[in-house]
Amino acid sequence: MLKVTDLRFAYSRRSAPVLRGVSFELADGEVGIVLGRNGSGKTTLFSNILGINSPDSGSIEFDGADLTKMPRRERAKLIAYVPQDIRFGALSVFDSVLMGRVARFGLTAGEEDREQTRRVLDEVGLAALAERTVTELSGGERQKVAIARALAQEPRLLVLDEPTGNLDIENERLILEEARKLARSRNIGVLSSLHDLNRALGFGDRFFFIKEGVVKYDCRREDVTADMINDVFGGRVRMVEFEGEKIILDEKKKI
Amino acid sequence: MREEARSRRLKRAAVIAILAALVVVLGFACLFAGSSGMTVRECFAAFAKKGTAAQNRIIWNIRVPRVLAAIIAGAGLSVSGLVMQTSLSNSMASPSTLGVSNAAVFGANLSLIAFAGGYLNGGHNASDFTFGANPFATSAVAFAFALLSVLLILGLCRIRSFSPGVVVLAGIAMGSVWTAGTTIMQFYATDVGLSAAVIWSFGDLGRATYTNDLIMLAVVAVGSVFFILMSWRYNALLSGDAAARTMGVNVDRLRFFSMLLASMITAVCVSFLGIIGFVGIICPHTIKKLIGQDHRFSTPASLLAGSLLLLISDTFARSVGHGSALPVGAITTLLGAPFFVAVILAGRRDG
Repeated sequence: MLKVTDLRFAYSRRSAPVLRGVSFELADGEVGIVLGRNGSGKTTLFSNILGINSPDSGSIEFDGADLTKMPRRERAKLIAYVPQDIRFGALSVFDSVLMGRVARFGLTAGEEDREQTRRVLDEVGLAALAERTVTELSGGERQKVAIARALAQEPRLLVLDEPTGNLDIENERLILEEARKLARSRNIGVLSSLHDLNRALGFGDRFFFIKEGVVKYDCRREDVTADMINDVFGGRVRMVEFEGEKIILDEKKKI
Repeated sequence: MREEARSRRLKRAAVIAILAALVVVLGFACLFAGSSGMTVRECFAAFAKKGTAAQNRIIWNIRVPRVLAAIIAGAGLSVSGLVMQTSLSNSMASPSTLGVSNAAVFGANLSLIAFAGGYLNGGHNASDFTFGANPFATSAVAFAFALLSVLLILGLCRIRSFSPGVVVLAGIAMGSVWTAGTTIMQFYATDVGLSAAVIWSFGDLGRATYTNDLIMLAVVAVGSVFFILMSWRYNALLSGDAAARTMGVNVDRLRFFSMLLASMITAVCVSFLGIIGFVGIICPHTIKKLIGQDHRFSTPASLLAGSLLLLISDTFARSVGHGSALPVGAITTLLGAPFFVAVILAGRRDG
């Protein structure tokens, strides 16, 4: 279980703090969605959890262990990341995924690492592309490689920053369903940001609304209201129920 | 898929094997080519130390250390370029991005103009500047300044944890300061001192001695072992700093030691041989085009490609110069640049 308590962070002493006391918890097997306006600090929150930046104060714990004091390699065995801007060197898909295990194998990959890599490639449906060079793939395929790489780390928590940015509507659905399935089957936590609120409502179990550097609302899917969204995003939306699903609409639009 | 895997592996193996074979063959060919008029048979005899005393000396005292210097320095400069490019995430980075070469030139100028020329010998006797006098002292001063420059920049990086972009800019600034110092010194130099200093800065493998080779070998070997061991971490770094960190790579430490070792290799090579530019750009980029960026393969291939380029360039430099070899630094660029452009334009596949 991930437990973030009163997390504070500013990029420099002179700049305004981005996180001003963020607290929340995410259980294993749960999908948590972080929502907030552009620049509200979603990526900053992730980078603190991942150890790319270190918090000014507050604590980040996983199963009671303090992540901020954990050596990088140990942390990499617990948490994996799919960044918003995905970059790869000109390596094969197989090697790019195998690379995710570097924290586990250190200097050279062993047979166990290759076996795990093959398994993950099968799982996300990339086996057929294993020997292609990543830089030749489409944006959506690269996104899948990044997810496969994160899974190869065998993490207990998967952090996804806008995982559907490069994907068409069908791939978007597939990736999110895959992530949800993984959360259940591997019993790992998934923490993700998502622009599309309707997608988010279909994908997440828990919702963390960030406003002014704190988690202003923290609720389960069934408790999300249009008021929360309007407060955090400053827009005017309404929520309707359609065949048991919550759908968010712009106020002026009609069905 | 199987086919692709096999052809990829085959290509990598073929490129590395061919490069290795070429280095060996050309290494020997260089031993046997030169202006002394020895036949191949005589060369073989001399190589086995069964020729005349003079022939033995030409092979063992002049050509062998020179060929070794080409192999070692070429490999070192090339692999340093590769590592600098990856660790700074900048394809324009080169072994001397931190201003090492400029600092070494400054040191050499100081030694040749201020010490040897200005104070010790009065600077009016050309023979005082022949490299036979005490080339080791000049190299030592050059190396001291190169080292100073590297430590200054890396020290700053350590204190303020610079981003790669800032490191590159700081390196350019640092290099410019050394060059400005060199210019001022050269302005006040005597004609003889000036020409000695300018000629020193031309890369020349003829200066190599066994001692130089051994020192270069030690530094290049230590660096290369580190670079090869870190292959997977460099691969991770190709995905960007943030991604590499979340894969458990200590990016700051890796970058620090990579820059330190690459710059040390460059400092040693430049201090002993003068400036041999462009090897660190041409070779790694050509290799990346040919077999991709995977450091497990691009590192050994870059080592070999550097040796090969310097061997070819030196052979060329010695054979067109009519007795006096042309500066090999100019030849590497002259031969390498058109080839490089051709490589870039030819295959736009492997990024």
